[in-house]
Amino acid sequence: MAGKIKEMIDLIIGQRAKGNPMLERVIKSKLMLKGVNPKKYDSGSPDDPAVLQKLERMMHTLK
Amino acid sequence: MKIKSAFSTQDTADASVNELATNLAPLNPKMVLFFASTKYDPESICQQMQDAFPQSQVFGCSTSGEITSGQMFSNGIVAMAFSDVALQDLSIQVVEDLQDGQALNDAFAAFEAHVQAPMAELDPSKYVGLLLIDGLAGAEEAFIESIGDLTNVIFIGGSAGDDLKFAATQVYANGKSYRNAAILALLKPGVEFTFIKTQSFRDLGKTLEVTRADESRREVIEFNGKPAAVGYAEAVGTTVDKAPEFFMQNPVGLFIDDEPYVRSPQQIQGTSILFYCGVVEGMELSLLESTDMIEDTRQAIEQAREDLGGISGIINFNCILRTLELTQKNRTADYGKLFEGVPTVGFSTYGEQFIGHINQTATMLVFK
Repeated sequence: MAGKIKEMIDLIIGQRAKGNPMLERVIKSKLMLKGVNPKKYDSGSPDDPAVLQKLERMMHTLK
Repeated sequence: MKIKSAFSTQDTADASVNELATNLAPLNPKMVLFFASTKYDPESICQQMQDAFPQSQVFGCSTSGEITSGQMFSNGIVAMAFSDVALQDLSIQVVEDLQDGQALNDAFAAFEAHVQAPMAELDPSKYVGLLLIDGLAGAEEAFIESIGDLTNVIFIGGSAGDDLKFAATQVYANGKSYRNAAILALLKPGVEFTFIKTQSFRDLGKTLEVTRADESRREVIEFNGKPAAVGYAEAVGTTVDKAPEFFMQNPVGLFIDDEPYVRSPQQIQGTSILFYCGVVEGMELSLLESTDMIEDTRQAIEQAREDLGGISGIINFNCILRTLELTQKNRTADYGKLFEGVPTVGFSTYGEQFIGHINQTATMLVFK
């Protein structure tokens, strides 16, 4: 499977930033400090379970 | 006057607190923030500060040196008072156990009850958070990351110091002293505010990818697939034995939007390198080289002044490694002068927070 990481990153940024460019930058910074560089993932990127777990934890906190 | 700062270097807590109260009490402050040397007994200083400002919310932490308007010094206390014009509203919460994840959730629940709104929805242009955290618990990364997951409000702060004794750091709130704890303050300023995150380094264009790490120990085991000490020494152009001599001038940084989030090497252990803050496997770090801290900080303050159209107060969390570099270069007086004429409080920290946990940086909250 591939592309799930990019999908989740987009979802997190969309949910949290709601289109605010300043918040988008902040959320991307938060992801990078967790070791997830949004620029490194596209729709063909393999679904790395360790990265997915970090993103799932972040999404869970947002609910 | 909306914001006022004061300092004291008197020998006793009694005398110092009296001096601060004489200067700040006439403002009838809504909040008093203080940073104090460990020469003052922790229990006494926090209780006396609260007693001196009975109508105010009072909090602070221990330091490894203090900063105020025009001066950088040590073995003293600095405090900043905020009037109800500068600060419309605030809530202070104490997280008494940094390892207890539920404690942070409880603090956020208390904030939500106070502001009557979900923290995830709070407007970060109207609210700002301050964080003062134990500087020896090694818990900052997870803590600030959890805060960042819970809200869009920016929390900025510093890790408490203890005058370089590395024995015990303290955070203070409401007349009590805490260890392995954090003070969180949610502020709704009555004036505009902005942030400064300044570090004085340039990118040397050499990438060190963390290929193996023990994140819980802040340990890099491998850079670029080689033992970390070897990878770092090769990048700097020295031997492993001499590599620690380069740590202060040549830390590494995670670049985000062309800005380094600095990770400072602490020591070589075996063939690994231990850092002063977290490093995560997969991070691509850049080798840095130090530049002129005074000039870079001056420019950062000027930029903030221009953005806001004036400055009425600065809270400065300045890394102890920056202070040590300034001391080594005999430039602490020059650094202090950067804040001349502006109400300022700050301290030399064991770590700085701005979105994440960082090193060799000054993070500042600046009020218009």
